[in-house]
Amino acid sequence: MPSFKLDDQQIEFQPGETVIQAARKAGVDIPHYCWHPGLSVAANCRMCLVEVLPPPGRPALMLDVLRFDEAKGDYIKAKKPKLQPSCQLQAGDGMEVKSQTSEPVREARAAVQEFLLLNHPVDCPICDQAGECRLQDYWLEHSGKSKRMKDEIVHKPKAVDFGPTIVYDAERCIVCTRCVRFCDEVVKDPVLDKRERGNLGEIVLAPGRQLDHAYTLMTEHVCPVGALTAKDFRFKARVWFLRSVSSVCVGCATGCNSYTDFDPRDQTVYRYRPRDNAEVNQFWMCDEGMLDYRRIQEARVLRPRLAGQPSTGAKEAIDAAVELLRGVRPAVLLSAEHSSEDNLAVLELARALGGTQVFFTGRPPGKGDDILRHPDKNPNRAGVLALAPNAGDYQALGAAIQAGSVSVLLALGSQVDGDAGALGGVPVVSLSVHEGPISRAARVLLPVASWAEAQGSYVNAKLKLQLSERAVAPRGESRPASRWILELGARLNLSLSFSKPSEVRGRLPGASSVGAGAPV
Amino acid sequence: MEALDIDLEESEIELPTEPMLLNVGPSHPAMHGTVRCVMELSGEAIARVDVQVGYLHRGFEKMCERGTWSQVFPYVDRCNYVSPMLNNVGFAMACEKMLGIEVPDRCQWYRMALGELARISDHLTCDGAMAMELGAFTPFLWMVKARDMIWDVMEEETGARLTHSFGRVGGMAKPPTDGFKEHARAVVAQVLKIVEESEGLLLGNRIFLDRLEGIGIISAEDAISLGWTGPCLRAAGVPYDVRKSNPYMKYAEVDFEVPVGQTSDCLDRFLIRLAEMRQSARIVYQCLDRLSDSGPVNVDDPRVVLPEKSGVYTTIEDTIRHFKIVMEGLKIPAGEVYSYTEGGNGELGFYLVSDGSGTPYRVRIRPPCFQVTAGLEKIITGQMMADVVPCFGSLNMIGGECDR
Repeated sequence: MPSFKLDDQQIEFQPGETVIQAARKAGVDIPHYCWHPGLSVAANCRMCLVEVLPPPGRPALMLDVLRFDEAKGDYIKAKKPKLQPSCQLQAGDGMEVKSQTSEPVREARAAVQEFLLLNHPVDCPICDQAGECRLQDYWLEHSGKSKRMKDEIVHKPKAVDFGPTIVYDAERCIVCTRCVRFCDEVVKDPVLDKRERGNLGEIVLAPGRQLDHAYTLMTEHVCPVGALTAKDFRFKARVWFLRSVSSVCVGCATGCNSYTDFDPRDQTVYRYRPRDNAEVNQFWMCDEGMLDYRRIQEARVLRPRLAGQPSTGAKEAIDAAVELLRGVRPAVLLSAEHSSEDNLAVLELARALGGTQVFFTGRPPGKGDDILRHPDKNPNRAGVLALAPNAGDYQALGAAIQAGSVSVLLALGSQVDGDAGALGGVPVVSLSVHEGPISRAARVLLPVASWAEAQGSYVNAKLKLQLSERAVAPRGESRPASRWILELGARLNLSLSFSKPSEVRGRLPGASSVGAGAPV
Repeated sequence: MEALDIDLEESEIELPTEPMLLNVGPSHPAMHGTVRCVMELSGEAIARVDVQVGYLHRGFEKMCERGTWSQVFPYVDRCNYVSPMLNNVGFAMACEKMLGIEVPDRCQWYRMALGELARISDHLTCDGAMAMELGAFTPFLWMVKARDMIWDVMEEETGARLTHSFGRVGGMAKPPTDGFKEHARAVVAQVLKIVEESEGLLLGNRIFLDRLEGIGIISAEDAISLGWTGPCLRAAGVPYDVRKSNPYMKYAEVDFEVPVGQTSDCLDRFLIRLAEMRQSARIVYQCLDRLSDSGPVNVDDPRVVLPEKSGVYTTIEDTIRHFKIVMEGLKIPAGEVYSYTEGGNGELGFYLVSDGSGTPYRVRIRPPCFQVTAGLEKIITGQMMADVVPCFGSLNMIGGECDR
C-alpha cells in the first residue's frame, strides 16, 4: 500500500485519497473547519495547512515575505515555505508532510485562528455551541494568544430567522460554507449561499426561500461554530452537562445511527446527533428523526390503567390482566414500533398460554425520499417478521375479530396502521409507550419504557440488526415490556424461556453477532 | 437505711486488682479532634492502649477526584487547617511538576514567605495548646494572639483568615499587596517577641518542665520506622527536613538551620517548635528582602492560568481561555507524580494520577500527621494516665490530615 510520512508517522493511503482523509483514517486529526468527510472540498478555512517537503534534489517552493524584526523595529525580507491545504492535497507515495512539527505551519494556524476570532462576538456564555465549538478547541490548541486588535469588531446580523428550525448568527459565522455545500450536495436543494467577502462575508437564503427542506437540522450539525443553532435546542441545555449513548433512530425503517444526548441529573433526553455509519446513514439524519427524541417525553402512558379509570396501581393492573388471560388462548398483536426484545417477550407469553394467532401492526406509512427517509415509519418491521414470519397484518386481525375467533388480545404498541375501531369488540391487554388507538382500546393498560429507556435491537429495512443503548431511566411507572411479561408469567404459573430481562436479547435470532453500540 | 457492708469483716474489703478499661474520645477535649484512645490501666499506669483514627471521615480524597484540578484547593485547605497555605502550595507544586512548568521567581518568594508565616502559626498553635492543656493558660492566649497577627497578614493577602484557597496551579490567586512586606516584617517582629515572653513564662516553670521532661520518649529508629517526619522526628535527633534535604522553590538560596533534639521527649518536641519558629522568621525576612515589587506572579500559559477578568468580559480570546479552564478544567498530561514539601508537621506528599482530562484520576495524600499519630500508642504505653495529654499535644495531631 502506498504511504506518506506525516510528522513522524508513516500513513498508508488508498490512491486518490487526500492527506487529511488518510490521516483521519489513521486516527490523526489535522485541524480543520471547512472540510467535512461527507462534503466536497472547499479549502477556504486554511486551518489544515501543512508543509510539504520537496522531493530529494529539488528546491522547496519558497515565498518572499516581510517579517517584523523586534530588534530593528522594522520589517525585513524573509522567506517562508508555501504551505498547502491538506484537505485538497492528494496524498502521494513517499511524500513527506509536516503538520505540528513545522514552525511555519504552527504560525499559520495561529494566524488563521487570530483572524477567525478577530470579529467574533463575546458570545460563549450565551452560545449553544460553547463546549463543543471548534473555535474554542483550536484557539487553545493552536493559538493561546490574547486579542491584539483594539478596534471595535465588525457587527453583522444576529438571530436571523432561516426557517422553521434554524437561526443564523452572522457574527459567529466563519463562512466555511459547510451548510451551503450540505444543502447543495446532499439535499440537492441549493437554498443557502454566501454573499460578500472577507470580514463582511455571511450566509444568506435564496431570495424568497426559507431553509425548510427535510434535512435543515444537519446544517446546524455540520456548522463547526455557533453560527447556525437549532430552534429546538437553543437555550435548553449546556452541552457539558449532557452525556451520550449510542442509539438507533426509531423514526423510520432506515435505522440511522445516532447519539442520544441526555442530562443525567433530570434524566431527560435533549437531542439526537447523527453517528457516522457508512453503511446506513453516512453522517446524516433527517429533521423528522432528529426531533423524534421528543416522543420520549410526549404523550406517554405513565401509569397502569383499567378501562374507565384514570389510573390504577401496578398490582391491580396485573391482577386484572391475569384474570383476563388465565385459561384463554390469547391472540397477540406485535408492534413494528418496538424492539425485537419487547416483541419477543410478548410473543413468548402468548405462546406459553397456548395462543397461536399472531398479528402485527405499527405506525402508518409516511413520506420517504431517496436520501435517508423511508416510507415505513417503523424501525423494526423486519425484526418482527424475523420473530414471527407468518404473522398476519392489522387487516387480518380486524377480520379475525369480526369473525369472533379472538377471545382476548394481548397487544404491544401504541399506533395501528389501519382502522382504530377494529379493536373495539374484544378485551385488550395492552403494553403501550404512548397514548394511541391501542391504549384507548385497552381493558388493561400497562405502561412500557420507551426506546431510550431500555436497551433494544432493531432490524432496519436493509435487514441490518442494530443495537440501541439505554439512555435514561423509565419515566413514570413504565417498565420494559419484558419486566411486565415476567411478572404476568409468574402470576400465571408459566415457564418462559428467560428469567430476567437481560436474557431476552440472547434469545433473538442473530443477536449474538451484534455488540452493544457497535457501529454495524 | 442500714449500710449494706455492715456485716463484712475488715479483711473481706479489698480493691479490685484487674486492669481497668478506660475510653477517651473520640469526642474529648484532650483528643484534638476525633481520635479515640482505649486504654487498659493498671492503677494510673497505661498497660496497653489502642489509638483509633477514622472518626473524622469526609471522603476527602474522593471529593478531590470529582471536580477539576483547581477545585481541589479548598479541600487541601482543610487538611491541615492550621497552615493551609503550605497545603495549597504543596498541591500546586505537585500539579506543576506534572505539567512541567515552574512559576516565576516572584511567585516562589511569595509562596515561601506565606508558607513560613503559616508554619509559624502552626507551631504557635501546637506549643500554645500544649501549655494550655497543662494548665498554663496565659501563654496560650499570648501565642494565639500572635497567631491572630499572622492571620491578619493572611487576611490582608488572601481575603480569608483560615481557609484561604489561595494557591493556583501556575501561580497564586493574586499578587502580593502593596503593604505586604511592611506588614509581614512588623508582624514577625512582634510574634518573635511574644514567643520569647511565652518561652520565659514556661521554661522557668518547674511544673511545666516536670510534666514534659523524660515523658513520651521515642528512639530515632522507632520514629523512622513509623514514618515520622517533621518536628517530631527532628526532636528524635534526625535532621530530616524536606526544605534542606530536597530543597524546592528557593530554599536552597536562603540561610536557615534545622534544629534537632537530643532526648526525644515531649519537652524536646516543644523546644524544636520554638526553635523552628525563629528559623521560619529568618526565612520570612530573607524572602521579603528578595521578593520583587513588580513582575509576573503567574506563569504565562493559557492552558493553565485564568486570564484577567477585564479581558474575559471584552474579548473572545480571553472568554474562551476562561471557559476552557473553568468548564473543562486545566488539562494535566496523563501520568503520575509524587511531590513532597515540608508541611507544618512534616513531609506533606501528594501522589497524583492524571488520565489527561480536566479531573484528577487519583489524589492520594501523605499527610504527616497520620504517621505521627500512629506513634502515639508507642510513646504513651507505660506512661501515667496524666501523661497522655502532653504526649498527644506534642505530636500536634491535626484531625483533618488523619481523614482516611
